[in-house]
Amino acid sequence: MTGFLASEFFHNYRRSASAIIGSALMAAFAFAVLAGPFLVAQDPYDIASLNLMDSYKPPVWLPGGDPQFWLGTDGQGRDVWASILYGARISLFIGLVAMVASCTIGTLLGLIAGFYGGIVDSVIMRIADIQLSFPSILIALFLMSAVGTGVDKVLIALTAVGWVVYARTVRGSTLSEIEKEYVQAAKVAGLPNHKIIRKHVLPNVLTPLIVIATIQVGTFVLIEASLSFLGVGVPITQPSLGLLIKNGFDVLFSGLWWTSVFPGVAIMMLVFGINLFGDFLRDELNPRLK
Amino acid sequence: MTDTPMLDVRDLQMHFPIGGGFLDRLRVGAGGVRLDNPVVHAVNGVSFKIARGEIMALVGESGCGKSTVAKTIARIYTPTAGEVRIEGEDIASYGFAELLPVRARMQMIFQDPYASLNPRQRVRDIVAEPLLEQTKGADDRKDVPRRITELLAKVGLNAEHANRYPHQFSGGQRQRIGIARALSVTPGLIIADEPVSALDVSIQAQILNLMKDLRDEFGLAYLFISHDLSVVNHIADQVGVMYLGFLVEHAPRDVLFARPRHPYTRALLSAAPSIKEKRETDEIVLSGEVPSALDLPSGCCFRTRCPFAWERCARERPALQDVGDGQTVACHLIDEPERDRP
Amino acid sequence: MTDQPLLAVRDLRTHFHTFSGTVKAVDGVSFEIGQGEVMGLVGESGGGKSVVGFSILGLIDSPGKIEAGEILLDGKNLVAASEAELRKVRGREISMVFQDPMTSLNPLHSVGRQMDEVLRLHTDLDAKARQAACVEMLESVGISRAAERLKAYPHQFSGGMRQRVVIAIALLARPRLIIADEPTTALDVTIQSQILKLMRAQIAEKGASMILITHDLAVVSEMADHITVLYCGKVVERGRTRDLINAPSHPYTRGLIDSIPDTVNRHDRLSQIPGTVPDIRNLPKGCNFRDRCPRAQALCAEVEPQLEPQHGTLSSACHFPLKPGEAA
Repeated sequence: MTGFLASEFFHNYRRSASAIIGSALMAAFAFAVLAGPFLVAQDPYDIASLNLMDSYKPPVWLPGGDPQFWLGTDGQGRDVWASILYGARISLFIGLVAMVASCTIGTLLGLIAGFYGGIVDSVIMRIADIQLSFPSILIALFLMSAVGTGVDKVLIALTAVGWVVYARTVRGSTLSEIEKEYVQAAKVAGLPNHKIIRKHVLPNVLTPLIVIATIQVGTFVLIEASLSFLGVGVPITQPSLGLLIKNGFDVLFSGLWWTSVFPGVAIMMLVFGINLFGDFLRDELNPRLK
Repeated sequence: MTDTPMLDVRDLQMHFPIGGGFLDRLRVGAGGVRLDNPVVHAVNGVSFKIARGEIMALVGESGCGKSTVAKTIARIYTPTAGEVRIEGEDIASYGFAELLPVRARMQMIFQDPYASLNPRQRVRDIVAEPLLEQTKGADDRKDVPRRITELLAKVGLNAEHANRYPHQFSGGQRQRIGIARALSVTPGLIIADEPVSALDVSIQAQILNLMKDLRDEFGLAYLFISHDLSVVNHIADQVGVMYLGFLVEHAPRDVLFARPRHPYTRALLSAAPSIKEKRETDEIVLSGEVPSALDLPSGCCFRTRCPFAWERCARERPALQDVGDGQTVACHLIDEPERDRP
Repeated sequence: MTDQPLLAVRDLRTHFHTFSGTVKAVDGVSFEIGQGEVMGLVGESGGGKSVVGFSILGLIDSPGKIEAGEILLDGKNLVAASEAELRKVRGREISMVFQDPMTSLNPLHSVGRQMDEVLRLHTDLDAKARQAACVEMLESVGISRAAERLKAYPHQFSGGMRQRVVIAIALLARPRLIIADEPTTALDVTIQSQILKLMRAQIAEKGASMILITHDLAVVSEMADHITVLYCGKVVERGRTRDLINAPSHPYTRGLIDSIPDTVNRHDRLSQIPGTVPDIRNLPKGCNFRDRCPRAQALCAEVEPQLEPQHGTLSSACHFPLKPGEAA
């Protein structure tokens, strides 16, 4: 740990405002997501704890506000703050799991395409190219309408959209990696291909993926929010931040703005934090910019 | 001891098709649609033998195919044609499983001390890599840590270096690690692809001395690839000169440096800079540059830069012929020596 | 020949302040070059020879900084000059040739356009005269069909031809000093000899001076009038080429020369300099070379040797210099 504190990475981190703000936002969300249920009295999905009498209470600083619900309540009397904490859980869960799945599948396909080349490479990369020529939200929409809604379906749709960027990056690094002499040395040493890929290629193509993966969590949160907003995302029983916005949107122009604006601000801050930190990582991990 | 050479290469050829998918190679011309199949003629029929404990050098300029010869013999590539006999056993068309035991008899040292070691492996894992592929049983592997310490000592490093990563070493030390890796399986033949050309001159001398010592100690044979004639002159027993994938001259070291016969060899020797006062030799100065290996010239490949070339050279490709003292030369001047004047 | 040297570098110190410590890449280097002279700057990697070249051109970027010293071109101190003044000096008075020609050629512009730009910046010739000058210059560096080749882009030339183009551009504004940093290291030996011959001829014809930065003693001994040897950012020896090659007085120079494989002693082992270059962020007290030096004594660990005149034209920084004919 002292090694890390003395490292150049940490030194630069301390001097980068965007890195500190970004990671602070990410840490705040991580805390909110993990400790959320203990921070608020109300479980917004426990119908028994809701009271219709509390519906559409404005935020606490407006006339009629109730100090019990500092960001106000929605039509069912749900605390908006509690909904955001619970919703961020679902949003982040979806973003992270879809990222891990995309990264695993994309890396694997990229390694195979780059290492073996030939027809395998052509097939994988042409599929990736075709996929890239459509907006990802369109592909996700199409898939969702084909397989139906639900958290698992959202994960499938996001993974189907997200693997391409890893596959392309990993394929590129793999191509340059297999030209390196240590890969040739491993061949001369008699290592079988799967060992060469695992021991020599994989560890050396991972670094650029850290940046992609970080930023992708933000992108996935946004795509999921869009899908939910369009009504093909998560079910009403597990509202993510996007679904909260949609639910509030219906009454937005009746002056009940807080039910959708606050979840929107939450998404914005989450994605903003992730992107700020991702940018810092990109500058740090890309030796070309140094 | 037998008379079987350690390495016997016969008419080795290596052609690389230029990559690109189906669409990249499609050409639409006057004759309709056709598929282009460009091929790089990297090695075009090279033959030589290396005895046990002997050092053979291949010299030539970049793109002459010398590194390809090395990597084809080491079976990083699969040769297009020809034979590669290791102690009499032709391994040219061996598959992965058949090659594994051969890997214990033939190892390789690489050019770039930075790129030839995986930055994410510790030195002990790097050095042990070929050895672990040869020893699958847990019993045999018990010895590996001791063997690594021994190997590191052999190349002038110590046991505590084993736990470090490559970036903690200088270029010369990294090259020593690469040599230890090659030695780990006690091979009889080491293929060294420009092993000192990335090193500073004082470090280069250390590595060359080390390689010579190891040859004397283990009776190693080397195939030594280099573009540097002074290094070759120092280390080699016999020298082959390559140009555009052909062996144009091949001779014992002393014969080659005293009496180079091929115009290309003569040009190489006179172009090499030296710290000696300018010598008064009949310098052969080459004009122009090496032609593309995609489209070899007809006849003699060197004729486009050769100051002596005449029409026969464009018509007829010269074959290597014996001129005595173990020297062979591929040049029409041998038949028509009267043309050998500027 | 005037009394004032064309370029005088006095006590140049260029340091790099990196995260892991200050790298004194150049630490107290002094030398002079007269009109029409070729000086070889020799040393191993990490010796600081390239940094000297960049310092002269004012091309040291953060975290590097010229901490002290003077670089006098015709008596004018370039260290104190503004960026605008330096821009006028670069290209017109001093030009540079790098190891990799692609670093100095713009891949997006034709060779002709890049040559024309130099002339437009540094001369007041009209378009026609500039064109003629470019053609003439390309021809003089041995590129045939020059008028046609002006339209070609850098990737359409081979490595050797590209380096010729770079040399043509470097010579175009008739600079008085050319800094050539490993100009032939990436080239094959037959191409190298062509390029070296060309550079020698062009410099003699144009009366320019040159600093030839290289690790290759053989190249420098064929090209240079004087040689300056750097080790760990300091000058350890300098003198006329033949004196320095034939009878160096510094053990490091001796070691470098003896490390070159040579036809005379080839059956023996090569003599080698033991050990490696010390970490430049953490140099030992006293002489930087003492850990690798066969002549080192107690004094070398205490006192750093200064450059002092030795036999012939040589001066070197060594407490126990070699006499002519003496082995290390």
